Amino acid sequence: MANEVFLKLEGIKKSFGGVHALRGVDLEIRKGEIHCLAGENGCGKSTLIKAISGVHDVDEGKIWIEGEQVEHLHPIDAINRGVQVIYQDFAIFPNLTVAENIALNGEVKDRTKLVSWKRIHQVAEAAMEQVGARMDPDMLLEQLPVAGKQMVAICRAIINDAKLLILDEPTTALTEPEVERLFQVIRSLKDKGIAIMIVNHKLDEIYKIADRLTILRNGSFVSTGLISEYDTQRFTRDLTGHEFESKKYVPENAGEEIFRVEHLTLPGKFEDVSFAINKGDVLGITGLLGSGRGELGEALFGVTPAQSGKIFLNGEEIRIKSIDDALNNRIGYVPEDRLTQGLFMDRSIEDNTVVSSIRNYFHGLKLNESEMEEATNRWIGELSIAAPSPKPPVRTLSGGNAQKVVIAKWLNTEPRLFILNGPTVGVDIGAKAEIHAILRGLAAQGIGIIIISDDLPELFTNCNKIVVMRQGKVGVITDNSVDNIEL
Amino acid sequence: MKKGKRNSMLTSTQMILLYVIIVFCIIVGLRQPAFFSVATVINIARAAIFSACFALCEMIVIISGGIDVSFPAIGCVAMYVPMYLIDKGMGSQSAWFCFGVAILIGLGFGLFNSILIAVLDIPPLIATLATSSIASGGAVTIFGSHDYTSLPEGLQKIYNTNLITYVDPNTGFSYVLNILVLVPIIASIIVAFLLKRTMLGRGLYAIGGAKHAARVAGLNVRGLQFFAYIFSGAFTGLTAMIYTTLMKSARISALMGDEMIIIAACVIGGVRITGGHGTVSGTLLGVLLITLVQNSLNMLGIPTSWQRFVVGIIILLGTILTSWQTKRSLKAEKA
Amino acid sequence: MKNLKKALGVVLTVAMAASAVAAVPAMAEEKTAADYKIAVVPKMTSIAWFQRMEEGVNAYNEETGADVFYGGSSEGADQASYLESLLAEDWDAICVVPFDSEAIAPILEKAKDQGITVITHEAASMDASVRDYDVEAFQNAAYGENFMEELGELTGGTGKYIQFVGALTSVSHNEWCDAAQALQEEKFPEMECLGRYETGDDATSSYNQTKELLQSNPDIVAIEGSASTDILGAAQAVEELGLSGKVAIVGTSMASICGDYVQNGTVYSFSVWDPAEAGKAMIDLAVASLNGTVEDTMALTADGYETIENVDGDGVFYGSARVDVTADNLADYDF
Repeated sequence: MANEVFLKLEGIKKSFGGVHALRGVDLEIRKGEIHCLAGENGCGKSTLIKAISGVHDVDEGKIWIEGEQVEHLHPIDAINRGVQVIYQDFAIFPNLTVAENIALNGEVKDRTKLVSWKRIHQVAEAAMEQVGARMDPDMLLEQLPVAGKQMVAICRAIINDAKLLILDEPTTALTEPEVERLFQVIRSLKDKGIAIMIVNHKLDEIYKIADRLTILRNGSFVSTGLISEYDTQRFTRDLTGHEFESKKYVPENAGEEIFRVEHLTLPGKFEDVSFAINKGDVLGITGLLGSGRGELGEALFGVTPAQSGKIFLNGEEIRIKSIDDALNNRIGYVPEDRLTQGLFMDRSIEDNTVVSSIRNYFHGLKLNESEMEEATNRWIGELSIAAPSPKPPVRTLSGGNAQKVVIAKWLNTEPRLFILNGPTVGVDIGAKAEIHAILRGLAAQGIGIIIISDDLPELFTNCNKIVVMRQGKVGVITDNSVDNIEL
Repeated sequence: MKKGKRNSMLTSTQMILLYVIIVFCIIVGLRQPAFFSVATVINIARAAIFSACFALCEMIVIISGGIDVSFPAIGCVAMYVPMYLIDKGMGSQSAWFCFGVAILIGLGFGLFNSILIAVLDIPPLIATLATSSIASGGAVTIFGSHDYTSLPEGLQKIYNTNLITYVDPNTGFSYVLNILVLVPIIASIIVAFLLKRTMLGRGLYAIGGAKHAARVAGLNVRGLQFFAYIFSGAFTGLTAMIYTTLMKSARISALMGDEMIIIAACVIGGVRITGGHGTVSGTLLGVLLITLVQNSLNMLGIPTSWQRFVVGIIILLGTILTSWQTKRSLKAEKA
Repeated sequence: MKNLKKALGVVLTVAMAASAVAAVPAMAEEKTAADYKIAVVPKMTSIAWFQRMEEGVNAYNEETGADVFYGGSSEGADQASYLESLLAEDWDAICVVPFDSEAIAPILEKAKDQGITVITHEAASMDASVRDYDVEAFQNAAYGENFMEELGELTGGTGKYIQFVGALTSVSHNEWCDAAQALQEEKFPEMECLGRYETGDDATSSYNQTKELLQSNPDIVAIEGSASTDILGAAQAVEELGLSGKVAIVGTSMASICGDYVQNGTVYSFSVWDPAEAGKAMIDLAVASLNGTVEDTMALTADGYETIENVDGDGVFYGSARVDVTADNLADYDF
């Protein structure tokens, strides 16, 4: 069974008004396999998914589903043939219950007029059992964490006789244990003979879950094969078209201390946290969700200040009781969810770059527009932000470039300490490497850098000191000579 | 699990509102013993008839993810035009004619609203604001603004038909409850059934909660929006004629300005202004609280000059209470 | 004797001649409305009140052979722009009933600059510099006292009463009520004012409040209304409670609003001033102003304005044009 082909694509081409989104893609997905589709942003993954699910009609190429060639696939045909897609937003109803979310699509399809809550519960229970998920069927979706919502979306997909389940970047918003749980569910579905296609570009996750891998770049098919045929080098090369060295970071010459905290405590979140950063250090803070890693970062930036303990910056004790205190001490912070917390998506790159340092551009009551533009242009150059000018809105940038704008915004304030929470979440591998290079450069200039992340390989490569938080306390502080840490 | 459920029942929006209402009644009763009387029940029920009907319309629209500020204007036109036609000798005196024309007018404006919102994709607030302006401005220009204070035969008959007549043994006053009180009662039952037990109703919640997801699920989003606004319009027309019958008058501006208090009643009743949430029972309790407050401040002895302030404060408190309770339940469940 | 007769005859003749001599040029000089170009601009044309005023202006034209223009915007809000467009013509006088006195003040000022005589009505509080004269139907105090005279008589001078005002901020409503209350304290000490309540010009509000107040104070014997719909709601409540004839109701209103309740006796009488006569009075005053014959106490031809007085010397003339409408004369004031 494992070798029976469910879906086969050959030479798929699709363009939108002259822009070639897909330039000839081949893909083969077998029943009962977990197939990973990888590629950087803009490589055509989304277009490909939409072609498979019938949302886009392809310009050229052939599609076979279960050996039968289909032409002009419509969304409803795709669903009837067992293709189900779980998009990143899950397309769920936050205001309806778990049971209803799972059963609603079926009810709509059957053109039901009257609702039987008993039947809805039965359908939902059956689906949850099949997936192996346990949730209160009467709970509203908005009350569930992201992972729960995702489970509901999976349950809903499989009750419609799914034969191919496509998950678009399913792990982006999940914590480590939640990813584990998701993978278990995916494996159990695989065992039931369902073909799974996961869009993902985190190599460590791909290793854990995938049987086979297909890589796209710029709308073209690059390579496909068993997961065992790929090592980090090949993966990165196929994905980006460049070779990247991943040398572990070691500061060239350790200098004097820039930043130190002693016995920092916020009851219920973290306690007795002490560490120090010397010139050239990049400090990593990691730990499980709930270990206090995020709260520690927010405390250093004054979002939810610590209640006791001491903080020293350049040898001087400082008080951080509010964000204002942090800003006055020239501490910068890139929040975890940069899209909602760090950027004004509809404003220009320039506006976002100068927003935290706007005071510097006032000449009397007038803003010096040319200075603002000049500064923005400088950062666009230094951080190689892929933008034609400082004027386009941030919304038009890719994830990696948007993240660079957040960094530019803080660098423009000339920070002495720079805290980044999950700086490369949702950023593709090329941009990730660039961001890492920028951070190393900053550390060398004597800016204290703290990276808060649960991406361990990222920390091992980039941080020369790693603080591991366990249940609110510092579990261990280590350098990056290790290859794994018990969280 | 069982216990948790019972707990959440006791702290649901409806129960909290009920507690507030009971406490308020006790305060009024302590201040003014005459409050505890069948007469109060009849007075409040009578006073809540229009508000309850309008709130049901508004609730359906808000659940579907919209908002309707045009119902007062639509209602005014719907009550005025039949009276105008009768006055000009172009209509019949029967209740069927009056209610029929009113409902048709309401339906027409509802259709207009839904075209603006579902087809032309104009934000509901702006669309219904425009409709409101067009309806009231157009009606004044075309029909003038007379006060009709005599009922045609058919409506007079309904006005004279009472469900309950209660004679207060102490004062000898007779308190009457008109048969039309059955309209909001029956409508509530129908709407509750519609929302809870039909795919149409669930669809309204679905589009109000996540429009895009509803589209992906294959729901007819546009059709559902049409339903919400047309139902609201037609029911508004019906309610306007109830108003005319019970108040024995039709004025072109009789209902203007009522939209905010009705939206407030919905929100107090747990209807979330962002759409997708709301129940008939909560909305009715919201209406009950507001009607009760509006109609017992004199009994409480609150000076007229303070009454608008007090109504404002109670609306604010009610809204804070229900929104706080929503947030709390969200947090509790996530933790 | 004969001489005396003759002498007398001569004297008389001379006197007559003299008077004739005096009269003839006076007659020739005393111009009438027919000699001037005058416009009457109401707040709005869409309501019955100002349709009645138009009838008055038309009647005036018919009687005197004048050609006074009557016209305005259908909505009060557009009055300013209407007036502005009117200024393009060469008027001798413009008579205005201001809708929003602040909005039209600059336009009236401009009219005066152009040499146009400006007469206002229902605008006693307006800045004297933007108009020549203002004519009011009556003085508010006298008008309000009349209600209490009526209520005192109807109740035999004992018992509790309540007052309704459209808004607590309405100057005229409060002046009426203040005067009534002052008179009651002086003349009917056995009566007691329970309070003054705000209706927002909404019959539903006065209806509900009347029921609420009667429930908690069954000994209320009289109700005074201020806004035209106040006594409409009160009368309906009183009638439904079976208290017609037991609770005396008077107030300001119009036949088109509460004529039915006057006819069936629930409302004893309502008071009003006739907009038709007010229109005529404005024209009269405009003519007098143009002729330069305005005096602090003078006579106009309009009914109720036979004697008008510039009470405070600020150019505001008060007439005595109050009309008390009972079942007997209801038919004469059909507006």
